Order: sequence, then C-alpha cells, then structure tokens
Amino acid sequence: MHGRVKVKSTAQQEEEKRKEREKKLKAFVSARDAVLRKRSAGEHDEEALQLTQQLLSSNPDFATLWNYRREVLLQLETSREKDEVQKLYESELHFIEACLKVNPKSYGCWHHRSWVNTRLPQPDWTRELGLCDRCLSLDERNFHCWDYRRVVVKESGVSVEQELQFTDRLIGSNFSNYSSWHYRSTLLPQLHPQPAPDSASNTSPSPTASPQIHSHRIFNCLCQLCDLPPGSVSDISNEHNLTVHWTEKYTHRDCALYTGEHRDQLLVCVCGRSELSVEKSSVLQAELQSCNQLLELEPQNKWCLLTIILLMRALDPLGHEKETLAHFQTLKEVDPMRSSYYSDLCSKFLIENTILKMEYAEVRVFSLSNKNLTTLCHLDQLLLVTHINLSSNQLLRLPPQFAMLQCLEVLEADDNAIESLEGLYHLPKLEEVSLRNNQICKLSDLESLASCTKLTRLDLRGNPVHKTANIDSELSQLLPLVTALSL
Amino acid sequence: MGTQVKDVIIKPDAPNTLLLDKHADYIAAYGSKKDDYEYTLSEYLRMSGIYWGLTVMDLMGQLSRMNREEIIEFIKSCQHDCGGISASIGHDPHLLYTLSAVQILSLYDSINVIDVEKVVDYVKGLQQEDGSFAGDKWGEIDTRFSFCAVATLALLGKLDEINMDKAVEFVLSCMNFDGGFGCRPDSESHAGQIYCCTGFLSITGQLHKVNADLLGWWLCERQLPSGGLNGRPEKLPDVCYSWWVLASLKIIGRIHWIDKAKLRSFILACQDEETGGFADRPGDMVDPFHTLFGVAGLSLLGDEQIKPVNPVFCMPEDVLQRVGLQPDLLS
Repeated sequence: MHGRVKVKSTAQQEEEKRKEREKKLKAFVSARDAVLRKRSAGEHDEEALQLTQQLLSSNPDFATLWNYRREVLLQLETSREKDEVQKLYESELHFIEACLKVNPKSYGCWHHRSWVNTRLPQPDWTRELGLCDRCLSLDERNFHCWDYRRVVVKESGVSVEQELQFTDRLIGSNFSNYSSWHYRSTLLPQLHPQPAPDSASNTSPSPTASPQIHSHRIFNCLCQLCDLPPGSVSDISNEHNLTVHWTEKYTHRDCALYTGEHRDQLLVCVCGRSELSVEKSSVLQAELQSCNQLLELEPQNKWCLLTIILLMRALDPLGHEKETLAHFQTLKEVDPMRSSYYSDLCSKFLIENTILKMEYAEVRVFSLSNKNLTTLCHLDQLLLVTHINLSSNQLLRLPPQFAMLQCLEVLEADDNAIESLEGLYHLPKLEEVSLRNNQICKLSDLESLASCTKLTRLDLRGNPVHKTANIDSELSQLLPLVTALSL
Repeated sequence: MGTQVKDVIIKPDAPNTLLLDKHADYIAAYGSKKDDYEYTLSEYLRMSGIYWGLTVMDLMGQLSRMNREEIIEFIKSCQHDCGGISASIGHDPHLLYTLSAVQILSLYDSINVIDVEKVVDYVKGLQQEDGSFAGDKWGEIDTRFSFCAVATLALLGKLDEINMDKAVEFVLSCMNFDGGFGCRPDSESHAGQIYCCTGFLSITGQLHKVNADLLGWWLCERQLPSGGLNGRPEKLPDVCYSWWVLASLKIIGRIHWIDKAKLRSFILACQDEETGGFADRPGDMVDPFHTLFGVAGLSLLGDEQIKPVNPVFCMPEDVLQRVGLQPDLLS
C-alpha cells in the first residue's frame, strides 16, 4: 500500500502484466483455499506447514495463517521429544528470518518470532541479538526490530552500558538516528535513576505537615477549594497566609495559601520555579556558549535558535528576555510553517516572565498588554487578580480556563481579534469589560456574559456585532443588568 | 552541508482542486472486480477496507451507493463464537476488525445485528493484568489495541466493563521523553500510535495527562517543506499522516501549529486525476486507505465540501451525534 509508484506503460506491457497477475492470483487463491479447507477439517500436519509456508513467504500480513501455523506447531510438540521440539522451532526461526528478508516490517512475523522463543526449550539470545544487529544495519529506524531487541536484551540480561555503547556506535556512524537517541532516553535513566521525590521541607514559620500535593489536581480545580490531604495544613485560624514547599519530580514548588472571605475557601496561588544546582547551571551555561558559537556559523539554523531560547529560559528567563524575543522573530522568518507554534511559545514565555516579575503573590493588577500574545496560559496562577489588561495583542479567544479568574472585577481586552468569549462565564465579581476593536460577530458570542451577574459596564465598540439588527434591544434583553453599554 | 531532508517535490502540474466525484466513483467501483489482484491479497484486512470505503463515501455524502444489506450479512458471518469479529469469512477474529465492524454498523445504525454482549466479553477478555490489551488470543500487545478496545466499547456504550484505571496506566506508561507514544513501553514515538493514544485518552477523559505543548511541537515538526506530514523524524511524507498527525493535533488543541494551506496543497497533489482516489504521495498508486485519510484530513482542515469528521473515531460527526458520543478535546 505504501511507496508503489504508478508507472506508465504500453498496451502490450499492460497486457503482459495483466496475464502475470492473473496467474499469480490463481496460484494464491488455490493455495489459500487449500489451507483454509485443511484448517476447517482440523488437520494439523506437515502439509499444513508447507502450504502456509508458501503463502506466508510473500504474504506475511495474512495473520490467520500464522495462527494456524502456531496451532500446528503446538500439536506437533505433543508428539515430539525435547530435542526434536528444539529442532522444530529452530527451523521455524529460519523460516521467519526468510520472511523478514522479504518484509522486515510485518507485525505478524515479529510477533511470531517472539512467540517461537517462548516455545523453544533453549532460546539462543545471542543469535537473536545478532539478528537485531543485522536488521538494524539495514534499516536503523525499523521500530519492530528495536522493540524485538528490547525483549532480547531483557531476556538475556544484556547490560544497560552495553546497549548504550551500541547506540554510540550507531550514532557515530550515522548521526541522524532518532531511534537510537530515543533508546538512549530510556537507557540513561536506568543508569542514573532520579532520586525519589522527598516529602516537603517546611521553611516557613507556619507549622505544616508534609503534604504530597498533586499539582495537576490543583490546576484542574476551577473553584477555590484546595484539595489537600487531611492533616497537611494545621492551625490556620490565626494565619493570613501559609507557605508550603515541596518537591515534585525535578522542580521545587512554592504554594502560598490565602484565606478567603469564607474560612473554608482557600485560594491557591502557585508560583512554580525551577531551581538549578550550581553543577547543572554550569553545564547548561557551557551548552549555551557552544550553541551561540554554532549560531555564528549558521545564523539561520532553527534548531540552534530554539535550543538557545530554551537554555536561556532554564538559566535566566528574565535576564534573557530581550534576546529571546529577537530569536523568536528570527525563528518565525527561517521556519514560517511553524510560526503559529513560535508565537504561542513566545506568548507562554512572556506570560511566565510577567508572573515571575510579580513581586508579591498578592498582586491584584496584572498587565499583559502589547506583547504580541497569540494565546493565554497559566491562568491558574492568576486566581487572585482583580484587574487584568490584555489589550493590544493577537488573541482570538478567551479560553474556558479564563473562568478560573474568580476574583476578576475588571477586564480590558481591547484591540485583539477575539471572536469567542467561552471563558467569560460565572465570574461572580466581574463588573467591567472592555472589548473594543475585536471580532465579536454574533449576539450568541455574548451569551456567556449573562452568567456574570455583577457585570454593569460593557464596551463593544469596533466589533462587527454592532451591525446585527436591533442590537440594542437584543443586548438589553440578554444582559439586563448592564447599565453602561457602548456599541 | 548537513544531511539531506527526506521529502518529495510536488510537480507544478499536480492536481490542485478537490476531485470528489472521481473519488466517489473510485470507491463505489472498488471491490466490484472480485478477481482483482490487490483486492484478493488484501482479504486479510477486508473488514477495515470496508470501513475505509464506507466512511469516505459517507463523508462525501455518497454512502447510499454502497451495498448495505450485503455488508451487514458479511459482518454477521464474521462474528465468531468467542464474540470477536474477523476481517473476512474463514479468517480469525481480532480487535482491529472487531472495531472496524462496530464502526461500520454504527454508520448503518445496525449495531444489533451482531451479538453485542459477546463482543463486550471478547474485548474484556483481551485486557491483561498490566492494563494493556492483546490483539487476539495469541497475545500481541500494542497501544493500537488499547484504542481499539475503548473505541469499540464507547460505540457500544459499554466503557464501564473494563479496568479503566489500569488501561490508562498502561497507555501512559508508553509516553516518551518527546511527549509522544509508541506501541509498548519504551517504544519509539510514532504518529500512528500517538493518534491511538490521544484518541484513547480522549475517550477515557484523561487528556489532561498529555503534555500538549511538548507533543504538539513534535507533531507540528512532522510537516516537511513540501507541506506534507511524515510519521516520525526523517521519514518521507505520506497522506495517511495527514490523518494520524492532524487528528492528534486536533485532539490536543494544537491544529493551528501546522501550515494548513501547504498541507492542503500536498493532500490535493496526492489525488489521481485519471482513476480517482488518493495515493500515499504524489505519483504513486491509489488505494481506499489513503483515499479515506486524504479526504478526512481535508475535512479536519475545514473543507466545506466534505462532512465534518470526528478526530477521535474517524467517522462523520453526525453519526457520533446520533450515537451520543462527544469525546473531550483539549482547547
């Protein structure tokens, strides 16, 4: 089905081809019918092996035939001694190898080989590893072979170091070897396991137990309730805020807990910060230097540009902000197909930097205006914000996660390209919204605002929706509480 | 300097308009010549072949041209005693063809012509202790089969019959450093597997476990200068990846990260103006498999001449609405 070139040929060539295929087809059909007849008759004999061998050599994806073959082999096992069984399955391995030469990517072939090794009284894993070596020398990207190799390595106890050396050799002879790099990503952690996540060390004056907070539960929490295990927060009645520290995988997290108006509602504001050791920092610094040297030689190399951006972020996101923005600009020019990706990634980094610059987690006014933002993210870190300015960006929508901003009172989002206000629903404190010069086209685009019961001021000037018939009366019906409406 | 980028060059005279009628004619006629060589040799996947043909016809609004009664009878005679369904008569049952059969019957709103309870038993019985699914009783494990299992049960409204937690745990154990997924734990990321795993996670409501930004980047890097998509780094583009990659991007909310216009040009260039149908790449031989995924890819890109397609099930959205299935997508 793949890689079959359509070749134009003469009428005579067409006729010859047609006759040839008709002959092949007849042979195939008669062999297939014979096999299926035998199987229906419950015959599990040598002839079955011969017939299936014929068919499978050129049709290894005909899975039912492998099944039948296995049934025959299992049957033959019952009447043979161990050494005969060994021979039986060794000859099966020869057969499979011949099939693999024809089609090295047949799921059926590789699975059957694995199965045979479970039936062999004495599997020869050295030979199997050799097969993998040969197969990979012909096609280093054959994932069937890599997967089979992993089984062989596991069964025969080949060391991680040995396999790493194997990948070294492959990469050394052909640098473009994603399969080898991938394999390394699974081998290295086995050689250098990460230390187990420790329980939180408390450095704040507040007494807390050691919580194992699963951040994804927090981030998915659209309301203000914080899902902490019992006993992890103690004696909150006298505290205005609590700080909890913990380690999650490779990063340190801080969590500042604030009491809200109701004692049982805790607002969570998480500032995730990755703290690098001195050793890690100097390694990354050296990498950054190398990459910068490479960039001088190849200023249009997108991989280099992107890697530099990521290294700078790991080392000093705020310090490198200007350079980062310049590199993103270059990236969009040298790799225009992915400019949407780069714009979104840059937006994410700018939002992260703005959050990092927040001096206190208590900051309530948050400005992201004029940053070429194409997407919003980390909204879960802005739960306490009362005023947000998103004006003069390239936003297309206010996404569902926007509804997390439960403290929001004022939203400025002028001069974007916003068509959808999905996320602007059930915001209980929202009083004022400015959406001048956007792309709100239909009345239905504004429906979610009806759930924001404190909304009184709404500016929709410069949106296509003003052309809707009877828009004034329609809007006053949809949003009766809005007193100051600008169209 | 540097390694050559594997890609194709699209010739200036390649097709650049959508030839929907030609494709409908191609599919309608496919398989009518029962003595065709390719057709006979692909009997081992016939059930999937029928699903590909019917789905693309339905997407083009031409389902009525196919032989509903004959197909339904065929499916009935492919259900085995164990409940599983085979690719064709005389072949052995397998999860792949069980899913295809259930998809076809959903298109035809005729699920009950088969023994649904037995299908559920068959699927349940293939779940292993580690949560994975074997393809059949012979034990091959692959995340493709995790997808087949939950997609089948979702279409039958029976998702609660398997160990969901374990099933999810297994699929997540196949997540790699690049955010992608392979066949089994430690297998290399591959667009086909990624489609199966993101589809699985969508059906099971676990998409938040995906690193959407990381995976989205890996997926958008599949786009080559020709505009076509490959299935993993340094491979040639193929129209079927317009489905596996694109649907995955849609599921994780990052479809805008590829250049849609360039991809559309590539897909259109894979059409065969003479015979109808799509090939894997421009100039190659066409087949129903690539025809479905070319058309489905164009639908995901927003072509209004084609019915909207669901990115998880690769079936028309209106069919899923009728069944009552609206799997989550990330935004």
